[in-house]
Formats: sequence, structure tokens, C-alpha cells
Amino acid sequence: MNTMHRAAAISLLAATAVAVRAAGTVRVETRDPAGAPVADAVAYVHPLDAAAEVYPPAEPVAITQRDQEFHPYVTAIVVGTRVVFPNKDNVQHHVYSVSPAKKFEIPLYIGDSTETIVFDRPGPVTLGCNIHDWMVAYILVLDTPYFATTGRDGTAEISGLPPGRYRLEVWHPRLAGKVGRDLAVAEAGDTTQVVSVTLRPDRRIRRAPDGGGADYK
Amino acid sequence: MRLPQFRRYGTRLLLLILGIVAVAQCADYFLVVKANRRNAVERIHQDLDEGARLFTRRVDARLDELSGRAALMSDDYSIRQLFLKDQPDPATVRSALRSYSERMGVPFMALLTPDGEEIGDTGGVLPKAALAPFKNLVKVAAAADDPRAKAFARLPPGGAAGKLYALLVVPIYAPKPEIVAWIGLALPIGHEFAMGLKADARLEVTFYFGLSGEMAPVESTLPGSDAVPVDSSSLGSGIRNVLVGGESYVTAYRPLLPLITPGRAAIALQRSLEAELGPSRLLERFLLLLLLASLAAAALIAPPFARNLSRPLIALAEHTKVIARGDYGKRLELGRADEIGALAESFNRMSEGLAERDRVRDLLDKNVSPEVAAQLLRDGGALGGEEREVTVLFVDLRSFTRLSESMPPRDVLALLNRYFDRMSGIVEIYRGVVDKYIGDAIMALFGAPVEQANHADSAILAALEMKSALARLNAELAAEGRAKLSFGVGINTSRIIAGNIGSSRRLNYSVVGDGVNVAARLQDLTRMSQFRADILISAATLAAARGKYRVRSLGAAPVRGRDEPVDVYAVDGVE
Repeated sequence: MNTMHRAAAISLLAATAVAVRAAGTVRVETRDPAGAPVADAVAYVHPLDAAAEVYPPAEPVAITQRDQEFHPYVTAIVVGTRVVFPNKDNVQHHVYSVSPAKKFEIPLYIGDSTETIVFDRPGPVTLGCNIHDWMVAYILVLDTPYFATTGRDGTAEISGLPPGRYRLEVWHPRLAGKVGRDLAVAEAGDTTQVVSVTLRPDRRIRRAPDGGGADYK
Repeated sequence: MRLPQFRRYGTRLLLLILGIVAVAQCADYFLVVKANRRNAVERIHQDLDEGARLFTRRVDARLDELSGRAALMSDDYSIRQLFLKDQPDPATVRSALRSYSERMGVPFMALLTPDGEEIGDTGGVLPKAALAPFKNLVKVAAAADDPRAKAFARLPPGGAAGKLYALLVVPIYAPKPEIVAWIGLALPIGHEFAMGLKADARLEVTFYFGLSGEMAPVESTLPGSDAVPVDSSSLGSGIRNVLVGGESYVTAYRPLLPLITPGRAAIALQRSLEAELGPSRLLERFLLLLLLASLAAAALIAPPFARNLSRPLIALAEHTKVIARGDYGKRLELGRADEIGALAESFNRMSEGLAERDRVRDLLDKNVSPEVAAQLLRDGGALGGEEREVTVLFVDLRSFTRLSESMPPRDVLALLNRYFDRMSGIVEIYRGVVDKYIGDAIMALFGAPVEQANHADSAILAALEMKSALARLNAELAAEGRAKLSFGVGINTSRIIAGNIGSSRRLNYSVVGDGVNVAARLQDLTRMSQFRADILISAATLAAARGKYRVRSLGAAPVRGRDEPVDVYAVDGVE
């Protein structure tokens, strides 16, 4: 810890001295208590020394319904992002959320929905389909532009970070609460953070075999 | 004190049979009564256990059913609509919940936040304070693997008017596994539940509740005030007998667990022992009748049976008296083949044996020494007619007729008996037999009926002894100042016939033959001057004798009925 503090202090000095263009990368490796990689975890950092400005993308983000599942399972977006829910199935879906961060519903439809939902508050949003109980997906609405989602190898890389001190947090649908730590990013410096997460049992509804194309990972 | 009726065998047998029947039947009756009671209690125990299981199953089944319905409801599109609003309208929530509760058949339903705070409820049945237990139950459910929980509760928790409920919380997913709310249900464990359980388990059902110590009945199938408070320590005491309205009820107390509100709740399951024993009582009454019938039958059967046994015994006793009188001729005929018949037969054989012995005694109706008599009785033989060599001794008092004329008859007899006593005693000593007394004479036999090798010696020695005895008697008589006695003895040895002689009415063992006459004749000769001597023996006797005696030959003497005279010897003593 001592070295880290020292490194943070140095980077702080460097940040004031060096142009803001310089950027660092935080590599996050999520592991469960057994050491196995954890996928679908969102790692994000908040700068501690300055306010983070978010700019929603110009194009809406798509969460597709295919084989009566949401794809992807976990989506991280910034506040103000527009999301569309194209239905590629040949059955109708009824997308909804009753999460405090965003309550909405798109009643039964098929094909590309014309409706675009703007996620204007930070927080986790659980998506469901009113007529298919097993369909579930998550959107994490963030008020920081620095985030990444872990893949099957359990790693996520947050790059383009100006040097400075950050608060790193990891979120996962089955994680109770948040896991976080403070860290410092040096100019053009790479840091690897191994984050241990303990997940609750996966209680998603298992689909009947003829439900078609269930792929949960 | 002796009871007179016990003297009669029949009465004793009657009492014995009645006693055995009474003991057996009474033991039977009481064992059956005891077994019935034990079986009834055991049956009730099993039914109480089964009743307790049934109660748990019914509560669980009802809650599971409600849980299923609630799960169905929680996935319902319309209920999600409530959560799409930022702030659901309380009146709308309440009316919606009332609609659901009616659909599900529960009187109370609440909607709770994921943390267990109330969103809304059906109201009415339970006041607001009743909702606190739901919050606790939500905590339990949230920690469970399968996020639902059930518990008993007294609602409202405080206050006296609370009632028992089974509570259930079921999550509302949007979608699973995201729990956006909980549905809370309260199923009353009340009168209706108790009556349903009673109908199925045939048990009285009482629900108890108490904050501490004593638990009071809150609901019961027992009428009125029959359900009484019970100490909460009874919960651990298993099955007990409890008096309900003065009647014994087998009772099991089981705690209602878990109870999520303070205090203790229990269910008491009971059944009347008397009611359970009802069918057995019929059997017991029948057994009682059977007992009395058996006693009556025994009382009827025992006397004839006893008579059947005692009558022959009385006959035997009577017969014994007949035998005691000496009448051996009668036979006891009972006509039975059993042990008593065998006894009668033995009795008859015994009287025959006695008759035979009596005949023998008759034959020995003489002055016979005990040894001779015993030998005779033992050997039996020698009584038939047979020819054998014997020595006959005649001893006769001289001039006794003349002497007796000067004496009173009583004195004559006394003197004669005194004399006979001495003489016959000597005959016995020498193992002879007094055959008969002829007036003042004695006829004695040696060698019959008891075999005797030296019968001649015995006769001679007996005669010499008699002479000495007479001398002693004469000394006594002289001392008494009375006249002396004198006698003559004739002894002869010959082969003669010995056997039972007489008529069929009176038989005597005796001897007949010429030799007897010779002995008598020799005795006669003692009075004649030519043969003047106290003891005369024939040549045959002298020849038969083995001992040495001082004898004098007195020449031949004619004997009546004999062609040849008999050589006569006087015996003076032993050499």
C-alpha cells in the first residue's frame, strides 16, 4: 500500500505537470473465491479528483431479443444513453423494467421496435419479458465514461484514463452490494487489479429444452 | 372354626370347581379389560401422532397451495403494472390485493417491499400492527435458498384479542431472480381449521397461546368451557391423560413452530378414552355374562359330578363297616372301570384275603405260639390233608373230677385254667401245637402243622418240663393250702393224617389216625400199677428221638383196635 500511495502521489504531481492527453489503463481481473474468472461483471472507475463528464453516444445501443433471450446479458451504458430493443424472434415480446432507475414497458411487439428508451438515471436496471419468465437481462447505467465489461476470461480493460486517483467498483447481477477500491493511475501507466467477487447462486429460470437456443454464458 | 359343609366331599368339589371357574373367568375378564384399555390408549396414541402429522400436512398443504397461487399471481402481468408506476396508488393497491385475496381464498394479503416494508394490504381483518411479523418473515425468506418462508404467528402480536395464523411470504420477481416485492399471506388457524381437522382425524382440537407460563385456549372443538388453560411446560411432556368435563381424555400437546411472534403456541389433540373403549365395552359385557354363565354351569355340573365321585366312596365306607363287622362274604359292585372301580376291586380282593386269613385263624384256633402262627400264615401250606410223621402228646390230670367235686365251679375253672396256662405255655416253647383240650386233658402235636425235624425230642422234653412245672404249681398250691395235682403223659410217634377236619361251617386243623389212639392209650396206662409212671412213651417215639433219655422199658401193652401190643417206656429224665 505504501508504494501505491507513493505512486499515486507521484502521478498526481505528474498529472499537473504533463499535458492532459497522457492516458493510463486499468486492467481488472475478476475472480470468484475459487479463483475462476467471472464474466458479465462491469468494472468502472470514478475519478476522485475531478468530476467525470459523460457523453451519451449518438447512436442508440441495442439489446436484441433472439431465441427468446436478451443479448447481451449485461450491458453497461452511461446516463442519457438511448437503448433500442430489436426483436429478432418470430414471437412477440413485452419488454419491461420495474427497477427504480428506469421503469418502462414496451407492450407486445415484434421486429424492430420504434420505441427508444432513454436511461436518464444511474443505477442497475433489470429487464424482463412479461410473457417469458425466463428472459432476463441487465443494464447498468453509469455516470462515468470509464467502464468495461468482463468477458469469459474475467478480464476488462478500462483505458484512456487521465492520470489521477480513482475509485474502482465492480458490479455483477448476482453480486450483493458493490465491490470497490481506490487506486491511482500514472501517466501512460498500466495497472492490473485482481478483484475477488462472491456471487449469489444463479437462480435464473431454466428453460425447457425445446425453448430453443438458451445460452446463458 | 370349621364350616360343616366343608366336611362333605361334594361341597368341597363344588367349591373347588366354582373357585377354579371363577378365578379363570375373572382373570380372563380382567386381562381382557386391561388389554382393551391398553390397546385403546395405544390406538389413541397412534391417532394423536397421526393427527399431529395431519395438522402439519394440512397447514403445509394449504400454505403450499397458497404459495403456488401467489407465485402464479406474482408473475401476473397486471400486478407488474403496479410497479411500473413510481408511486403506486394506495387505494388501487388495496383494491387489487382484495381482488387477489378473494381469488386465492385468503382473508388477508399484504404487499411488501424487498426489505419487508409495507406497500399495501387488504386491510380489514388485521390492523396495521399485524404487519411487523411479515417483515421478520421476509428477512428469513430472503436468506433462504428458496426465497419463501412460513411461520405461525399471533396477530396482532400484542393485546388479548390476537388470533393464530399461519403466515407465508412469497417473492414477486420482475423477472426472476430479481425480487421486486413480497406477497404476505395470513391463513387463520382458527375454528374452521380445527373443525376440519376434527372431522378428518376424529380428535378434539384445541389451539393454545400464552406469552409465558400458562397457555390459554384460543380455539377449540370442545364445547364451551371444557378447554382449560394449560402450563406451557406441558409441551414437552408427551402424551398425558387430561380430565375434560370430568371425562378422561388422552391428550397430546404439540408446539406450533416456528412462531414468529413472542410467546408460545400449541395444538392439543385429544380423544375421550371412554369413547374409544365403546366397542370393547360390548365385548367386556359379553365376557361378564360368560363369566356368570360359566359359574352357573359349574354350579349345575359340579354337584352331580361330586355325587358321582362321593357315592362310591360312601359305598366303600359302608363296605368297610361291613368288613369291620367281619362279614367278608359281600362283594362291592360299583360297575365302574375307572380308578374307583379299581379301588372297589382291590377292596373285594382285600376282603377275600381277609376271609382267607380268617379261615387260617380259625384253623389256628388253638393255643399256638406267635412264631408258629406266623410261620403258618406265612407258609400257608401244611393245612391241606396230608400224611406225615408227628408226635402226639396226651397229658391228663388224675383224680381231677373227684377234686373238682369239693370245690366251687369258679375255683375249679380258675385252677384248671392256671394249670392249662402253664402246660400249653410249655407246648409253645417246644414249638408244639395244642390241638385241643378234652376236659382236663390236653392233646398236643409236634411236627404238625409246622414241620419239625426233632418232634419226638420236643415232645419228650416238653413232657419233662411239664413235670417240673407241675411240681412248681404244686408247691404254690401247697403254699395256698390246697390239694396237690398229678398227671400222666402219653407220647407216641407215628404217621398220621393231618388237615382241616370238620363241617363246612366249622373246620379245625387236626390229626386222625391210629397213632393218636396209641398216645391216648399210653396216657391211660400211666394210671395202671403195671406201668406206674408219669411219662410213658412208645417204642416208636424212643426210636424217633435223637437225644439220650433215662428210660425204663415197661414191657408191651395191648392197644385197642391194634393187633400188636405196643412197647412202653417210662421217661425219668434227660441223660
